[in-house]
Amino acid sequence: MIVGEQKPLDEIKGLIGDAENVLVMGCGTCVTVCFAGGAREAATVATSLRMSTKLDGAPKQITEATVQRQCEWEYLEEVSAAVEGADAVVSLGCGVGVQAIAEKFTDAWVVPGLNTSFMGIPVEQGVWEERCAACGECVLGITAGICPIARCSKSLLNGPCGGSEDGHCEVDPETPCAWQLIHDRLNHMDRLEVLMNPQPPKNWKASRDGGPRRIVRDDLRRAAEQEE
Amino acid sequence: MKRVQELLAEIGLEPERVEMFNMSAAMAATFVEAATEMNQRIENLGPNPLRVPQTAGKGA
Repeated sequence: MIVGEQKPLDEIKGLIGDAENVLVMGCGTCVTVCFAGGAREAATVATSLRMSTKLDGAPKQITEATVQRQCEWEYLEEVSAAVEGADAVVSLGCGVGVQAIAEKFTDAWVVPGLNTSFMGIPVEQGVWEERCAACGECVLGITAGICPIARCSKSLLNGPCGGSEDGHCEVDPETPCAWQLIHDRLNHMDRLEVLMNPQPPKNWKASRDGGPRRIVRDDLRRAAEQEE
Repeated sequence: MKRVQELLAEIGLEPERVEMFNMSAAMAATFVEAATEMNQRIENLGPNPLRVPQTAGKGA
């Protein structure tokens, strides 16, 4: 899932500025399950803004709505009237959700209520860890299902580095060394020979280094065209 | 409870306005102690500023 963290209330208030009618919009997918921007959090942020702006002596009209997915325009249709009637929209979706709202509603002033943190998993109640860096060319098939791009601080492909100590990373002693994990798992699977094949330099063009990415699926595009 | 207190502080209210006391139904003395403490605390803090206009309106 995409994991996010709510911005401090003061920052959100600064972003909405002097807008009178504010819509707080939650998202029912990733940020709901990481307790950062679902319907419950939208209600909390809306209530907090109501109380805080009243205490400031300049109460605002705060409404709230949550859609199943902010990152697909179809789901945003149902809140069109609410968005168009607001002076500002606080999106509690990830950065994709914020941009989807901005693209769908050209006249809407939309601001982020979350910081989008990473793609990861909950490892225990209340703790999330990064697992995928969306590098564009997945290497998990040769690293025992443990990603060295996301989980090694140096994103090494032929690790570990000299900073690996007692199975932990020199950058943060609480972070397990990804290459130690990979070695241990390959050893457990009796497949250590995988490590005998050094990996060539990675094609980072498939990652962010190649600029904004785009996927075009002609099979789906043609199917859509035929339907029309 | 800690989260609620943090929220209140963010909003601009005193976080000590809310607190949870754990006790069993048989602990009358502890209940009285907690209620007295909260009553004293709220009296010191004064009315909830978000409710002041309504209270004044009712009294007028």
